[in-house]
Amino acid sequence: MATATSEAPALAPAPATKPPRRRGRWTPYWLLLPGLLWLFVFFALPMVYQVSTSVQTGSLEEGYKVTWHFATYWNALADYWPQFLRSVLYAGSATVLCLLLGYPLAYLIAFRAGRWRNLIMILVIAPFFTSFLIRTLAWKTILADGGPVVGVLNSLHVLDVTSRLGITAGDRVLATPLAVVCGLTYNFLPFMILPLYTSLERIDGRLHEAAGDLYARPFTTFRKVTFPLSMPGVVSGTLLTFIPASGDYVNADLLGSTDTRMVGNVIQTQFLRILDYPTAAALSFILMAAILVMVTLYIRKSGTEDLV
Amino acid sequence: MAFVNSIGRWLKSHFVVIAGLFTLGYLLLPNIVVTVFSFNKPKGRFNYEWQQFSTDAWRDPCGVVGMCGSLSLSLRIAFWATVGATVLGTMIAFALVRYRFRARGAVNSLIFLPMAMPEVVMAASLLTLFLNLGAQLGFWTILIAHIMFCLSFVVVAVKARVMSMDPRLEEAARDLYAGPVQTFVRVTLPIVAPGIVAGALLAFALSFDDFIITNFNAGSTVTFPMFVWGSAQRGTPVQINVIGTAMFLIAVLFVLAGMVIGNRRNRQKA
Amino acid sequence: MNDMTLEKAATVEFRGLRREFGPTVALDGLDLDVRPGELVALLGPSGCGKTTALRMLAGFEHPDSGEVLVDGQDVTEVPAHRRDAGMVFQSYSLFPHLSAVDNVAFGLRMRKVRTAERRARAAELLDLVGLGDKGERFPHQLSGGQQQRVAVARALINHPKVLLLDEPLGALDLKLRRQMQLELKRIQTEVGITFVHVTHDQEEAMTMADTVAVMNGGRVEQLGSPSDLYENPRTTFVANFLGTSNLIEAEVDTRSGDGIVLKAGGGKLLLPEARCSAPTTTGGKVLVGVRPEKISLTHADAAGDIPAGRNRITGKIAATSFIGVSTQYVVDSAVCPEFEVYVQNIDRDAKLAPGAEVVLHWNPAHTFGLHADQSLLAGTTGSAGVGTVDDEAAV
Repeated sequence: MATATSEAPALAPAPATKPPRRRGRWTPYWLLLPGLLWLFVFFALPMVYQVSTSVQTGSLEEGYKVTWHFATYWNALADYWPQFLRSVLYAGSATVLCLLLGYPLAYLIAFRAGRWRNLIMILVIAPFFTSFLIRTLAWKTILADGGPVVGVLNSLHVLDVTSRLGITAGDRVLATPLAVVCGLTYNFLPFMILPLYTSLERIDGRLHEAAGDLYARPFTTFRKVTFPLSMPGVVSGTLLTFIPASGDYVNADLLGSTDTRMVGNVIQTQFLRILDYPTAAALSFILMAAILVMVTLYIRKSGTEDLV
Repeated sequence: MAFVNSIGRWLKSHFVVIAGLFTLGYLLLPNIVVTVFSFNKPKGRFNYEWQQFSTDAWRDPCGVVGMCGSLSLSLRIAFWATVGATVLGTMIAFALVRYRFRARGAVNSLIFLPMAMPEVVMAASLLTLFLNLGAQLGFWTILIAHIMFCLSFVVVAVKARVMSMDPRLEEAARDLYAGPVQTFVRVTLPIVAPGIVAGALLAFALSFDDFIITNFNAGSTVTFPMFVWGSAQRGTPVQINVIGTAMFLIAVLFVLAGMVIGNRRNRQKA
Repeated sequence: MNDMTLEKAATVEFRGLRREFGPTVALDGLDLDVRPGELVALLGPSGCGKTTALRMLAGFEHPDSGEVLVDGQDVTEVPAHRRDAGMVFQSYSLFPHLSAVDNVAFGLRMRKVRTAERRARAAELLDLVGLGDKGERFPHQLSGGQQQRVAVARALINHPKVLLLDEPLGALDLKLRRQMQLELKRIQTEVGITFVHVTHDQEEAMTMADTVAVMNGGRVEQLGSPSDLYENPRTTFVANFLGTSNLIEAEVDTRSGDGIVLKAGGGKLLLPEARCSAPTTTGGKVLVGVRPEKISLTHADAAGDIPAGRNRITGKIAATSFIGVSTQYVVDSAVCPEFEVYVQNIDRDAKLAPGAEVVLHWNPAHTFGLHADQSLLAGTTGSAGVGTVDDEAAV
């Protein structure tokens, strides 16, 4: 019972639980100022610069001028639509794979691991400390031509099927779309597992028992009770996987070939090697806009507004 | 037939465990490969094929030109980025939880967006800014970039902790003669500390391991991830695997030690 | 701040305290004097301003106008950490990172008392609250009642002049609450300082307090000892909020000695003039009240047995409920549609069943009179009248 203190905050603008900071009216602004200024100058402002760069023309030698040259966008899309498509496809496949692979592990940690829970959590997080580039390079060894993985897949005739589908080439896995998706899945799997685990862990174990009483089959329990309750984790997990995966170029570069280049590779090359800044900026802006639109639609559809 | 059936039933009831452990194996396989290959003695410049056992690389981890220099640079950048992001992020988190102010929505989106943006976009746009300003790319531009993308993660981690703290604890402290500074140091900080530590660890890991944003904004400076990237083109020395394995083991040992200490302390309390 | 003066109990005075939260008036000119060493309870419904008043005394809130005096000194502008008041919070607010003994010793630590001394004094206080052996436990290892005791010890460590208790027993179950009420009372007698206790539970206030200040709408409605408030409520709010009252609208008819004869419905009622807080000019309106347990119930057939000189009202039993020690009757009468009567279960009359015609009668000395221009329902739980007052205060 807290009379004015527990009821006032919900409605009144000056809640009684807050200390009476008469002199502290400016405190929040001082606290926010340095950090927000940092984000503004080094995150928001660069976005503006980037948009401006994307509509400039000129050359490195003579300098660039804003000429509202929107054709850069059309040219970029016309030239690089396959890379865009690949980004969406690869990132999408990796996200789905992450969900399929990550869910059982998150479920295992949340409900079945018992005293092993902490150890498994450590094993999920610890690889982060080995540089992800080193770990990605390890896949080169794992998927090497004539290596054990390729050997097994070959003897099971899996590679025949996948070659026909165009996701592997001959008896190679390395330098194919499969290798890239495999690497992306691997790299972003923890970003799927952790939010899934967080939302699964919040589910009351007794709900399973109650559901078990009502439905005979465990799978029905999962479909009707567990999965819907874990939706917030599914949503943030898929976003945390899809967004970085769609902009990634490391996996496509290390594990793929020139035929698996994603939009990230193009942006990187344009920016750092060809030095065609307007095209790079336009591509980057298109990627950002596409992702913001997709994310917004996705969040609307799944009805989870509070991600942070 | 009954035997097959019982195997089927066993698989069915243990499906989650089997599938989960499969995923765990998938996650750990590269680390196992990295560890095993840290004892390899490759023939050519690349360390992708097993040749013969050797502890050469472990006995001379800094034997590769430039690698340990890049490692120490990465550690220094990660340290300062952690300090910067943790201080700025903690301040923002406190402001967000404890105060009411205008433009709250805008502030929230400015914090959320860097986490919802592909790294390559942030990297490219930040480089555009630096180029426009004519900034010298190197240590400082990397540090600026790292603080920028670590900041939001610290805010999220600290905010959760501050939100769960009972504001009356601070009143209780003031009621017991603690001034504003003492209240913050003796009560607020110890209670919020786990959130700040979690945010700082996350910032350190993100900064230390970052490649994409660094690659754009480093100029000719080489951090450890950039060194690895470069060596993937030129030839991968075994020492890279030594560093990767050592980092993994150190991290696991640290966490295990922390857990053991925590457990012991809990048992003493009880 | 030497310890000699701190040991002494202090007076507390609220002078015209006013505080608004946006459109809400939490305190509307609160005046209250607390004598040294007294246990005073601020009692009232949610949103009546009692917690705000307490927090102003602690220094967590600043009044828009008015002042707070402790021992005659104006402390309105003194920040919380320089005031000699100890507070026990409603959810205890123990520091989760400190053990019980460190929680208790916190106040000494802030005053730079040496480690050995502060541990000794903290242990002493833990003994006082009966937790001498639990000092090394952390808050999450203590039960609700134990946390409560630690909170009391922590608030007492600096020998405050006043101990403030903000709904201290709200989170405990009924049995424990009863036990802690007595325990707090014992501690108060032992340390002998002034206690200001905020509660919405009238039973708790009545059990513990020397003086109860019934608060409503940001001001003190009535101040007095528990029995005085119960027997002589001066407003319908107090009459209804403290226990239950039957209120009847009546008109002043004549005077007889030191009593007033009133007309209510068809009958006459006698009211001692000393127990009427309203003006009693002939023809004027007065609200007549009587507590349900003061009333006797006789079946209409036996009305002749009722001694003369008692106030009477006739009616019909609408409902009865048996609650062990007593039976509660709701009686429909011409003067009051839902007259409540509590009869002790000594000899139960089987004829007193719903539908029976009855006579209600009581000793006129138990009648009290109130000003007629106030809501009959003020202070009743869930009544429209209080609801509005409450909501306005809470919004």
